[in-house]
Amino acid sequence: MQTVLKADNIKVQYGGVIAVNHVSVSLNEGEVLGLIGPNGAGKSTLFNAITGFTPISEGSVQFFNQDVTNLPAFERTRVGMGRTFQTERPYEDLTVLENVLVAAFLKNPKRKDAERVALSSLEKVGLSDRAHQLSSDLNLARLRRLELAKALALEPKVLFLDEIMAGLNPPALKDMIEFLRSLTATGISIVMVEHIMEAIIELSDHVVVLASGNKIAEGSAKEVISNEKVIEAYLGTD
Amino acid sequence: MNKNYTILIGLAILAALFPVVSSSYITIGLTVLMFAGWASSWNILGGWAGQLSLGHATFVGLGAYFVAIGSTQFGIAPWWAILMGMAVAGILAFFWGKLTFGLRGPYFTLSTIAIAEIIRLIAINEGWLTGCASGVFIDYLPEPFGLDLFDKTVQYYMMLIYAVITIGITIFISTRKFGYQLKAVRDNEEAAMAAGINPTAIKLKAFVLSAMLTALGGGVYGIFLSFIEPHIIFNLLLSVQIALTVIIGGRGTVWGPAVGAALLIIFGEIFRTVFEQANMLVYGILILVVILALPKGIVGEYAQRLIRRKYANRA
Repeated sequence: MQTVLKADNIKVQYGGVIAVNHVSVSLNEGEVLGLIGPNGAGKSTLFNAITGFTPISEGSVQFFNQDVTNLPAFERTRVGMGRTFQTERPYEDLTVLENVLVAAFLKNPKRKDAERVALSSLEKVGLSDRAHQLSSDLNLARLRRLELAKALALEPKVLFLDEIMAGLNPPALKDMIEFLRSLTATGISIVMVEHIMEAIIELSDHVVVLASGNKIAEGSAKEVISNEKVIEAYLGTD
Repeated sequence: MNKNYTILIGLAILAALFPVVSSSYITIGLTVLMFAGWASSWNILGGWAGQLSLGHATFVGLGAYFVAIGSTQFGIAPWWAILMGMAVAGILAFFWGKLTFGLRGPYFTLSTIAIAEIIRLIAINEGWLTGCASGVFIDYLPEPFGLDLFDKTVQYYMMLIYAVITIGITIFISTRKFGYQLKAVRDNEEAAMAAGINPTAIKLKAFVLSAMLTALGGGVYGIFLSFIEPHIIFNLLLSVQIALTVIIGGRGTVWGPAVGAALLIIFGEIFRTVFEQANMLVYGILILVVILALPKGIVGEYAQRLIRRKYANRA
């Protein structure tokens, strides 16, 4: 199986604070990598470092055997990384469809093709009926789905999802898990930062646990949740 | 075809008939068209890309001076001089943007004032080129197809063509990839990067296009004035007026600049005759009221309401 992503020895430092301390992760084609850890563990920072939104002080990122360490974020999008943001970032003056259109234009310079891709992305996340609404009028749950639609419209090779499940009710959570599973079946690989363990257990092929910027455990979901260090990091010791 | 093109053609025909119907208000008509053109050009950078410039008088001045110096010192026909002025404006905007697009929001705006001021001072001090305070006087222009370029009606039609070109380009951009990239960068740069867009490259493209189109109008303005002084044409007040036209009309909209130009110029004229001494006061109050009541500008607010209404009717 092909390794699609290999982040090696990533270190992110803000002044004197080390947010991510020499962490390595890798991802195989069609698989799901779960990043978990308590608040402030450095999950989102690592995620941003891999996608190019946070500068790294040490380490390297390989994407489909290409060294992307020095590529700016928008170049990494162009080679196939599609990401969502933890806090929604809609283009507020645009409609829902136009928001997704911006992303769809990446691979489809013609308006007609881009619109077809955008509509199909909205269909997938269940927002078709909202296509012509102003994105600033959407509620939080729908904005979250809009984030996903925007990432899908990029037709990425690897999808980076930053807490996409947060705030979903149980049926919606189930739908989302099913949907992501169907995506991996088409060959898309996923990196997800997630707090909802149900999603991590259901979807992840491999889980990496971070605490205070360090990788404290990795393995299958079952392995890590019974790992003592992990329990300690989440719950603390007596 | 985009229905905006149909509207543009309709309006252009009406505007073309205007000098036939009324010859007494031709200068006002010309001024409206000129500001519609400048404002549309400014809008590409200030509205679509969201980079508020208060330095666009620089490009007006470049266009005007290329025409003036071209004809008085080098005997170059105005159309070639305008093309050269546009090229220089584009090159200047490229380096200007390279230098200042690292700055965001109000800091970028302040930098445009600073650079425009530097260029104004250079223009005033390099008197051998710009005629110092005494200015440059255009006393001769060629007559293409037997047209007298000093004739107000001919100038009116030149301005009409200018306005149509700038609005036409705006309509062209508005439904295409470039237009959406501009709006994406304006609304959220990080999200735009996540969509594979290089924000600096997009802003540079917008600035260069905006500067070149502004210089085009500046060239025609030079012919219209036929007497050009650096401290008047490179004036900050002109930059502010251009920006204000778009802010009142609606930033990032196709018709906002034209609506803003029509309102500000026509009301400005009416107030000048009705309120005499107090005209600037009334003018200022009007601008304040519009900005407070309609923060996205007249066309901007209307467009947003239209989207909401359409969606409500569908649902």
